[in-house]
Amino acid sequence: MIKLRNQELIILIVTVVIFAGFSIFLDKFFSTGNLLTLMRSVSILGILSIAMAVVVISKGIDLSLIATLAVGTALASVMSSPDVLPSFDLPFVYAVLLGFLFTAILCAITGILVAYWDMASVFVTLAMAGVIYGLGRTLFIGDELNYLPEDAIWLEYLGRGQLLGVPMPIICFLSLAFIMHLVLKKTTFGKFVYSIGDSGLAARTAGVPVRPILVIIFVIAGLVAYFAGLLTAGAISSINTRMVSGSMIYDVLLVVVVGGIGLSGGKGGMHNVILGTLLIGTLLNGMVIMDISFIVQNLIKGIILLIAIMTDTILNPRDEQTTQQGDI
Amino acid sequence: MTEVFQIIDGTKEFHGVKAITNVNFSLLRGEIHSLLGENGAGKSTMTKVAAGVYQLTSGSFIFEGKETTFLNPSEALNNGVVMVFQENSLVPNMTVSQNIYLGAENFFNSLAKLNIKASRFLQSLNFNVDPNLLVSQLGAAQKQMVEIARAVHHNAKVIIFDEPTATLTPEEKHHFFGLMQRLKKEGVSIVFISHALEEALEHSDRITVLRDGELIETDKAKNFNRERIVKAMIGRDLTDSAYATKKTARKKPRKRGRKTLEVENLSMGSMVKNSTFSAYSGQITGVFGLVGSGRTEMMKVVSGVYKRNIFHGGNILLNGKYVRYLVPRTAVNDGIIYVTEDRKSEGFFENFGISQNIQLGKMVAEDKLWNTVSLSEAKTLADHWIERLNIKTKDINSPVVELSGGNQQKVVIAKGLVQKPKVVIFDEPTRGVDVGAIKEIHDFIKSLADEGITVIVVSSYLPEVMSISDRILVARLGQIVEEFEIEDASEEKIIYAAVH
Repeated sequence: MIKLRNQELIILIVTVVIFAGFSIFLDKFFSTGNLLTLMRSVSILGILSIAMAVVVISKGIDLSLIATLAVGTALASVMSSPDVLPSFDLPFVYAVLLGFLFTAILCAITGILVAYWDMASVFVTLAMAGVIYGLGRTLFIGDELNYLPEDAIWLEYLGRGQLLGVPMPIICFLSLAFIMHLVLKKTTFGKFVYSIGDSGLAARTAGVPVRPILVIIFVIAGLVAYFAGLLTAGAISSINTRMVSGSMIYDVLLVVVVGGIGLSGGKGGMHNVILGTLLIGTLLNGMVIMDISFIVQNLIKGIILLIAIMTDTILNPRDEQTTQQGDI
Repeated sequence: MTEVFQIIDGTKEFHGVKAITNVNFSLLRGEIHSLLGENGAGKSTMTKVAAGVYQLTSGSFIFEGKETTFLNPSEALNNGVVMVFQENSLVPNMTVSQNIYLGAENFFNSLAKLNIKASRFLQSLNFNVDPNLLVSQLGAAQKQMVEIARAVHHNAKVIIFDEPTATLTPEEKHHFFGLMQRLKKEGVSIVFISHALEEALEHSDRITVLRDGELIETDKAKNFNRERIVKAMIGRDLTDSAYATKKTARKKPRKRGRKTLEVENLSMGSMVKNSTFSAYSGQITGVFGLVGSGRTEMMKVVSGVYKRNIFHGGNILLNGKYVRYLVPRTAVNDGIIYVTEDRKSEGFFENFGISQNIQLGKMVAEDKLWNTVSLSEAKTLADHWIERLNIKTKDINSPVVELSGGNQQKVVIAKGLVQKPKVVIFDEPTRGVDVGAIKEIHDFIKSLADEGITVIVVSSYLPEVMSISDRILVARLGQIVEEFEIEDASEEKIIYAAVH
């Protein structure tokens, strides 16, 4: 059973308050159409946050998620498109598998650089974001905007369809969160992830295969991001690689930090991702409806991120008491 | 004599947990006042109030007759209160002289003049430290000298030493106590926190004993003896001394079993140089060495935590087979485990509960990444080890960081032992462990040897090595320089081998 900590309870309350406030004061907010949009966009954000959460729990960070998402998906659509030259014209399923392979390989490289070269994940993933985007665009993807081929109907169903009245992306998000929850909490691998986040040195000394696990973590994160990309493409039947230079990665970080997964590692779980996604998703949607300008939106998001990180530092302190050799 | 500072009815809480409760403490001008107590007794907390690190939750702090509160260490420093911490607060990438004069430099700072000044100053203190060296190049003892020099330089009225002698060699200790007496003659008041009761008895004017955050008694040092202190520290008599140093008190040493571990010419960087030794099953091999002798590093290489030199790195043989571990995991799979001396940074997982910590050890041994985690297994494991090691806790899921030092150590030991090792290396198994738990841990280590496991105990505390080992190796300058059977060993011989 998941027990909510105080922090999580606060997030839940804030979410409910904001949601109620928006519903009352914004007349367009509480409409079926908007709620569907909200949930769809929230789901993509949520899936990306799942990817980020796994990395953050192991005390890392992955800033290349959006590049992975966009380039992997665009690659899949290019490979199956008859119009784009050079024309491979693969069946879409094969193209998706190809994108899968591309993502897995590049993320494994990221992981290897972080784990075996002992580099800080912030810098590696920042650089890899550029590498992934550049590699994809120069080698395969000629245009920014790439449309899905006609045989991608199943993906469009995943992105737009409904099952028993529930939008598919929501189902995808929640089931992925559930699977990841099982992986993190119920398998040896998951425990190793937490142990590395808690204390990498202690994990190594205890005999945890720290480096291979780190590589696996980055591959998992990349593949989850790729899945989010496919869903995005499914929802609007196209993928625009321009989103790489957008501010989405900040939204993802916002979800993870606000949700209560401490940046100090080893803490939190999928319920934090769901909570954070609900709060940030609602907030973003409300700001769009209020027609707040993009610049002001960024300001607000930046401030929230700062406050969240500050709170995180207070709640999960680098406690003087615990870092000292001696006694109290 | 007048009081320099007083703490009256002082209480300090951390998140509702009282670290000290209604403490009345006073420090007289020009006295050496020893503070004794187990870990967690509140010694450091109490002195940190005087040093401005903490502020009292209730009660009053009176400095030179006036009630004040030091809000931060620099305010305390301006009033002449300096605390020399256990772990040092020097800037590693600055030279010794820069560190001594840090914050007190002239506006136009000449490094050459600073060095000359520092050199004179260090000589006047009889400290053998080169002021040109970077602090990161110094050993633990020298770092401490620099810290002390800095405190003296600040014209301190009160110097608080937090476990200053733990890392010093006997000669350095001798110098240190001489310095303490000199400071005392100059009218400096000294608070001396120590684990070594003999040092406190010998060198202080008054002794205060704390237990569980309460001040048990304060009296003149000459009115105390070892038994009275121990009784005050733990609240009961120790019928069986934690360190049975007398040979009559111990059973016959265990016989050597098979030669399980053999190390030939092991080298690693500048810390381990051509070290050769072996260990036998069913026996406790004690490894004694001063700080910086490379004892910990040798054992870390054996257990795969560190890598030996690639060229001329030497050999490690386990049961007659050459092995070379690049990561601890392969060593663990072969049955060698290393129980660390630094449990806070590489021993346990602070967000994990006791049961999870122990279970993690088992998962590593099983070496299957996608096994499912069984909660009932975790509970069984935890119950078993809590009973076997007498870990005191209310809840098997409470985070290990909330336990006392002794119980944390027991969890770390359990986490290793659950892997069913054949060779166990304990590095300082009782560092920062309360007196009561020391005996339990020692008994447990002995029981492992009786079961036929190869046990190595590394320690810089001689009574510990003497009381627990069947065979003693002495490390110096990255080598094992001497080997004693316990019957032939004496404290003098061992110290001599470790120093000369």
